Amino acid sequence: MKRQRFLIGTLAATLTFVALSSHAAPALTFEKDIRPILKANCFDCHGEGEKLKGGLDLRLRRLMLQGGENGPVIVPGKADRSALFKLTHSGEMPKRDKKLAPEQVALIKRWINSGAKTARPEPTEIGQGSGITEEERAFWSFQPIQHPPVPATRKKDRARTPIDAFLIAAMAKQKVAFSPDAEKITLLRRAHFDLIGLPPTPAETAAFLADTSPDAYEKLIDRLLASPHYGERWGRHWLDVAGYADSDGYSDADPPRAYAYKYRDYVIRSFNEGKPFDRFITEQLAGDELARITQADTRAVLEDEKKRELLIATGFLRMSADGSATPAVADIDAVRNQVVADTIKIVSTSLLGLTVGCAQCHDHRYDPIPQTDYYRMRAVLEPAYDPKRWKTPDQRLVSLYTDADRKKAADVEAEAKKLSDEKAAKQKQYIDEALTKHLEKFDAELRAKLREAFDAPKDKRTPEQKKLLADNPSVNINAGVLYQYNQKAADDLKAMDAKIGEIRGRKPPEDFVSVLTEPSDKVPVTYLFHRGDPKQPKEAVEPGGLSVLAPTGHGPRFLAKEADVQTSGRRLAFAKWLTSPTNPLVARVLVNRVWLHHFGRGLVNTPTDFGMMGERPSHPDSLDWLASDFMQNGWQMKRLHKLIMTSTAYRQSSARNAKFDQRDPENRLYWRKPILRLDAEVIRDSMLAASGSLNTKMFGTPVPVRPDIHGQIVVGEDKTQGDNKMPVDVALNGEEFRRSVYIQMRRSRPLAMLNSFDAPVMEVNCEKRQSSTVATQSLTLMNSEFTLDQAARFASRLKKEAGEGVQKQIALAWDVAFGRKPSSTELADASAFLREQADHLKSIEPPSDGKAKKDDKKKAPKVAPEMQPLSSLCQALLSANEFLYVD
Amino acid sequence: MKMPLNPGDEFLDRWSRRRFLMRNAMGVGGVALAWMLRQENLLATPPAIPRGPQSFDMKEKITPARPQARAMISLFMHGGPSHIDLFDPKAELTKRSGEDYPGDITFSFVDRASKKLFGSPWKFRKHGQSGTDVSELLPHFASIVDDVTVIRSMHTDINGHEPSIWFMNTGKAQPGRPALGSWLTYGLGSESQSLPAYVVLTDPGGHPVDGVRNWSNGWMPPLFQGTIVRSAEPRILNLEPPPHLKGALQEQNLAFLAKLNREHLSRHPGENDLEARIASYELAARMQTAAKEALDISGESEATKKLYGLDNNETREYGTRCLIARRLVERGVRFVQLFVNGQIWDTHENIKSNLATCCRKTDQPSAALVKDLKARGLLDTTIVHWGGEIGRLPVTENHGAAEKAGRDHNGQGFTSWVAGGGFKGGMTYGETDEFGHKAVVNPVSPNDYHATLMHLFGLDHNKLIYHQNGQEQRITDGKPCRVVKEILRQA
Repeated sequence: MKRQRFLIGTLAATLTFVALSSHAAPALTFEKDIRPILKANCFDCHGEGEKLKGGLDLRLRRLMLQGGENGPVIVPGKADRSALFKLTHSGEMPKRDKKLAPEQVALIKRWINSGAKTARPEPTEIGQGSGITEEERAFWSFQPIQHPPVPATRKKDRARTPIDAFLIAAMAKQKVAFSPDAEKITLLRRAHFDLIGLPPTPAETAAFLADTSPDAYEKLIDRLLASPHYGERWGRHWLDVAGYADSDGYSDADPPRAYAYKYRDYVIRSFNEGKPFDRFITEQLAGDELARITQADTRAVLEDEKKRELLIATGFLRMSADGSATPAVADIDAVRNQVVADTIKIVSTSLLGLTVGCAQCHDHRYDPIPQTDYYRMRAVLEPAYDPKRWKTPDQRLVSLYTDADRKKAADVEAEAKKLSDEKAAKQKQYIDEALTKHLEKFDAELRAKLREAFDAPKDKRTPEQKKLLADNPSVNINAGVLYQYNQKAADDLKAMDAKIGEIRGRKPPEDFVSVLTEPSDKVPVTYLFHRGDPKQPKEAVEPGGLSVLAPTGHGPRFLAKEADVQTSGRRLAFAKWLTSPTNPLVARVLVNRVWLHHFGRGLVNTPTDFGMMGERPSHPDSLDWLASDFMQNGWQMKRLHKLIMTSTAYRQSSARNAKFDQRDPENRLYWRKPILRLDAEVIRDSMLAASGSLNTKMFGTPVPVRPDIHGQIVVGEDKTQGDNKMPVDVALNGEEFRRSVYIQMRRSRPLAMLNSFDAPVMEVNCEKRQSSTVATQSLTLMNSEFTLDQAARFASRLKKEAGEGVQKQIALAWDVAFGRKPSSTELADASAFLREQADHLKSIEPPSDGKAKKDDKKKAPKVAPEMQPLSSLCQALLSANEFLYVD
Repeated sequence: MKMPLNPGDEFLDRWSRRRFLMRNAMGVGGVALAWMLRQENLLATPPAIPRGPQSFDMKEKITPARPQARAMISLFMHGGPSHIDLFDPKAELTKRSGEDYPGDITFSFVDRASKKLFGSPWKFRKHGQSGTDVSELLPHFASIVDDVTVIRSMHTDINGHEPSIWFMNTGKAQPGRPALGSWLTYGLGSESQSLPAYVVLTDPGGHPVDGVRNWSNGWMPPLFQGTIVRSAEPRILNLEPPPHLKGALQEQNLAFLAKLNREHLSRHPGENDLEARIASYELAARMQTAAKEALDISGESEATKKLYGLDNNETREYGTRCLIARRLVERGVRFVQLFVNGQIWDTHENIKSNLATCCRKTDQPSAALVKDLKARGLLDTTIVHWGGEIGRLPVTENHGAAEKAGRDHNGQGFTSWVAGGGFKGGMTYGETDEFGHKAVVNPVSPNDYHATLMHLFGLDHNKLIYHQNGQEQRITDGKPCRVVKEILRQA
């Protein structure tokens, strides 16, 4: 997981700028070559702030000539007489630890020596902040999305889709070409893992191979897009960028977020329904405003299922970690501020592909995002996230109790209260009895005095009485220590507590939705915070989009709200701004992310950073064509998948080609389909599918996780016993075999199996998953209880479905795990392996000592010795690269 | 499957070493065995301020200051060893035994509470050149006192076991924070490439009180969680298969898997990722070999085994774990912590027999560890810690008959000892009051203790920061505390 790319540092910045400038040599200009260096490193003291250090402003060439307290800092044509060069060269400036890189200093020297030119006459007025230059406005990702013409190509058979035509055009320059189409079986598996995250069953494999119609592949894609598993797979991708978690995080307690799962279910449903993505975005940002619901009146949630769904959608803005309900936090303002800041990060990285969060404390160092833009976005959220009228996570829950439910609950509570009063009386009596008995140990005179002191109300005791009680600590009996005097009495009270609990349990279960709403009565004023510090508010800021996207001289204003919207309408307007066809970022960011998941790398391979520090698009025309096509055709995700997946680029084989490998070793031109390791969830789900234990139940409360006896996080009810907190096993009745997307994502408890294969631990959100190869993964597959259990179940399935014949078992095993028949060599090898294992098992004595193995027996279901060879075979298949990678 | 000694190294030369490193450097691994393996010997600086992307690894880190210690073994004696019967003789208490304690006391067990002073039933004598006071219950400890600093002024100010354990082990009397071992491995990385950096040796009798939270990584990545090495098979979770699959069965299995993977690779020539995964199985097997070797004490000399008391029923189990702790540290493990079963030191009752039993189990092995480390030249760089989370009250916990008497919890003052790794030897530091109830002279809090440990490892407790949800976290949690320089060889 990554937070932001912004702070990666000087080195990367240097390289980028050097690379850019080398193309532009020799005519260096201030705006293009020098200003980015000064902006990133110097403006903080010499430009942006209210006070200029040494009276020096470096934002314009003419201001440098004018200079500060020590005179001009540049002498055009004479770098060695220019303070700008001398001080950066000697390392005296910048003052902080991070100095300019030698390449940057060299660039400054060249620029001064070549006359310190600007690209155009400089403005006569300059306001506060860094401002935005023409060069910055001209940056690729801020340009309107084009609908470029599809290049003509002679390779008609390979240009199945416009995407292919664009890719072919780019390939021609490098003399590479598409690889041949992959085999049908490969395409089947590829499409299955990509779209639904599960392998094809033997029946599905057989049916697809038997379908010789020309559009068999297209039909396959349609079938998979219609599968309910599609939403589980692609919803999970969205949950990554939304930063989905089932707990509040922040504090050590990491309180569970019991109702967050409704948002997860909403996401899955939305993908399955094929909800247009602009609508999906709008619902998540402003579902409450769409439903015309205000904070004062949320009853509509009860009555109108559609409106309830719209409110659940706003869960997107409730994903960030939130410590505002943590008791006794040192600085509640800072904690609340962090919640809003994280929400801004999530919104901006997921939808805008920009690290707007980096402009929280000062103008963005690399991108043209002034600090005011950050607070404009904050102003969009503040009516709902008003620091002055803050709602803690618990207070954001809207009850789904009906009046009837409420009445029933009150009746039950009355009954519980009756018993609870009885218990209080009994407790008093027990303590009294215990005291009487205990006092017998004292002599009569002292006994009476002690009794008197004990019976006196605490605040009325005389100093003598207090001393008497302190000197005889054992008479200070209370409910907490009653067990030390009379265990039976304590047990009795405990039983009454249980009974009271049982009665209360009869209340109709109260369900909630976690929502984001706004009051309609007041819109708070949003202030820019000096240095990002909520304790230093400066000027008031209006809501708005990004300045760089607004025409010069115009503020980034939103459209007026509709008349019947009682709330501020800001989020609705923000959503409109985002999903407008003229917004150059959102559609590009979305199609790029879809591309990334299909091809393992994005057209822009920094999916949450389309700024200066991000990568440039490898195929800008393809990206634009896809983005404009996506918008023109109603933001339909499923259509986009089909478009991509029916392309030659997607359908080609993964085989390498020595010649092309040399010309384009990183396959940036897509001349072959890369081999990809399956995502963590897909690995686990595919193992469940292969073993036949997958529970396909959808939606609902998350499957719980707990630490096991070693502290490793596994699936299970978190129940322990004894002082040493030994885990108690509670039957999960098949819940443990549900798909990974339904497993509780508690920030502090990442499931070991998923975590080891790079599933994110949500701190904010996850821009892109890693795909690591480490020994812990191998060990998990070799020895973990989960793997061994799945292998044993897989073996039982083979026996059940294929019968006793070894050849048949092996053939089915291959079909289930790899979707193909074993070769004759593989069949022979596997048979030999089974014999080898059986022979070995026969040669050893069964383990005899039963005493030390007690808790081992409880673990890993005992595999019958005669099933062990087959189980071992299954384990090898589940751990094999052919299982873990998609071709 | 046959394993050459270092298959990985050979393998790495054959293909892109750099790519393998790049790939591997990305991963934050699984749990329990969540220590990462690094093939590169690059040193990294310890984690500092960046609020940008945090990535975590077990690369060995360069510390800001020259470290005096490089490893630590903590013999954690949870339950509350009775300091006034072991390390902290109180003449006044003995003299006034039977009289009432003159001040206020907080009790955990009210029903048996009394204010009757209870002088230690054991005799103390001065030992070593340093003349350190040691109870007759600890004859072996008496033989190492010149290498040990006895801290008589530890205090948590909380009587309960769990909160005090959290305090001693994580820097704060609340659950959910990373343990000392997590902080050390976070700040220092691992020296070993085939063994976990943070090992917990649990007692075959069961987990300590509060269970697995004692070696939790808290909000740090699972990479920094303690790895349990159990006394019974499988010794390390996920490192070894269950006993019935061990040995030839798994070797056959891996050989078959390797065959499948090589065939698959032959159909996908040039795929570095696939090759790296094959290599990672080989590495996993190498780790099995390394762990097996580290845990196998059969090659130790008879004299060494005798030193640790392996020839004696009462000391064999604990002695074996102490010996394994030394073997682990010798092989580059950073932090080893030993726990005892349940709460044996929690001597509420029958202290006369119960305390003696605890000492018979642990005294000889603990002293042997210090002697053995010293003999091997490892003591200078290895910290040994002995101590619990609380001490015991100077007054009687009443159980009727006098011989059943015990002592209740005392978080106000207790004793720990430390040796090696830059601590002075032959020193007694701090004092409790005349009855041994409260730490009054040079008190040492758990935060002071942690700050001092960090200092010896070349780290600054204030500067070793972990960023959690935008908050800067430190092991000492921003509490006022200090490095106790008076007990260090070099300040």
